[in-house]
Amino acid sequence: MDHFIIICLLSFLVAIAIGIVVLRDLLAGVLLSGLYSFVAAAAFVVMDAVDVAFTEAAVGAGISTILFLGALTFTRHDQKRRGHDSLPALVFVVVTGGLLIYGTLDMPYYGSATSPAQTHPELAVRFIEQSAGEVGPPNIVTSVLASYRGYDTLGEVVVVFAAGIAVLSLLGLRRRTPVAEAPDDAPGDVPGDANGNANGDSPERPTDNGSGTRT
Amino acid sequence: MKIYPRQRHRVLQVIAKLLVPFVLMFALYVQFHGDFGPGGGFQAGVIFAAAIILHGLIFGLQRTRRVVTPGAVRVLVSGGVLIYAGTGVLCMLMGGNLLDYDVLAHDPLHGQHWGIFFVELGVGVTVTGVMISLFYCFASRRTDDARR
Amino acid sequence: MVEPIINLICLPLLAVACLFIVGGAVGLLRLPDFYTRLHATSVTDTGGAIFVSIALFMQAVFVYGDVMITIKVVLILFFTLFTAPTASHALAKTALLSGHVPLGADGKPLLATRGEAARLARSRPVSDDDPQLGVDGAMQDSDGGEQR
Repeated sequence: MDHFIIICLLSFLVAIAIGIVVLRDLLAGVLLSGLYSFVAAAAFVVMDAVDVAFTEAAVGAGISTILFLGALTFTRHDQKRRGHDSLPALVFVVVTGGLLIYGTLDMPYYGSATSPAQTHPELAVRFIEQSAGEVGPPNIVTSVLASYRGYDTLGEVVVVFAAGIAVLSLLGLRRRTPVAEAPDDAPGDVPGDANGNANGDSPERPTDNGSGTRT
Repeated sequence: MKIYPRQRHRVLQVIAKLLVPFVLMFALYVQFHGDFGPGGGFQAGVIFAAAIILHGLIFGLQRTRRVVTPGAVRVLVSGGVLIYAGTGVLCMLMGGNLLDYDVLAHDPLHGQHWGIFFVELGVGVTVTGVMISLFYCFASRRTDDARR
Repeated sequence: MVEPIINLICLPLLAVACLFIVGGAVGLLRLPDFYTRLHATSVTDTGGAIFVSIALFMQAVFVYGDVMITIKVVLILFFTLFTAPTASHALAKTALLSGHVPLGADGKPLLATRGEAARLARSRPVSDDDPQLGVDGAMQDSDGGEQR
């Protein structure tokens, strides 16, 4: 039953990927990529990798979609029509893909218990058997991430930091209006007078100025 | 009786105001429960930033920048890396190698616990700051373009 | 002993939930207008979520006996019931604001122009004794003289 669910989810992934490539509307492409991340997170849950699924759902289906939509406001909503299809590029891509698929034939079977990732005595076996005694938390993923492989996580944090700094230096945080002068209305609010009453919107009597307090 | 003037997006504003505290609380829960279930710094940082971004989408960028100022976001971005690297240096100062949490407390197990706590905190803080600053960069550019 | 009975109760609940979800999907594909399709997906979100949550709640309480899982399922249902209708409302309001005209039962547009749709989304609800009952609610009338 697990295999059936995994095959279904992976075929959804293939269909969504084909959809993203074929569609020319960028807004639909962005939403489909959010959906791709969500289906990938579901596939990770079925494979019992819940931490990864959590991160994939939060980052891919949440933040990434918002940032893509934000970037999409700068450009048009459809893709430029491609010029011509190039035959050498197609041949090159097919040959490279074929070589990669040929390379995966040497990999261990999906879920095999005898693969090196499961049976390596110094890595997987040691983490599973001795993590409770050496590090402590019941969640072995956290203990591997933060303690056994703490350097890698330090590198990841520095990469995220560098990405943030790069975007900040390229785009910059503009400050046209000083923060102290920020308006109290949200976008779309009907502009109001000093009492907080909206103009042209008077459910209360016009003589009743005292009750119209600022919201 | 107090009559509130009708705003255009009142439903969304009410729901967002109701939900943002719960999302923030959930982010804290995920941050500190990385030891016992799925969670940890990355996920918690993203969820925290998602709450602030929700506030920004509904109430406007100016108000959100008043709540979480760009200066504070910059402090968050670099503070997280400092916390992480600082934990490593603290381990060195207390006699071990870099990021060797055993020496942080009286007992190796407690030392590991404190080390993981601070390290995940650093990760969460940096990811929060970076996501919020990315949103501010994109969104403030948009309002400037629209004003031109 | 209690497990087969609970499974017997949960199976119809899950079947009903599947019915809602498949119905929502079929509606999304087959219905003619944007607003009717939106209604179909909101049925999926709320009806399907409620029945799945009730089935999971029964399983968690009687079969697993775990309090935390029960509380988490109830909280998930609670927040889904808050956010799913809000998302549908946001979609519908945005569509009306940007001028998408709804189709009537006979397939013809209900409003004449896109501008009318936008004004309908912006207008405030008119009161019962207001003689001018139209789509130009907010922009032109100034109820300064109307005493109530």
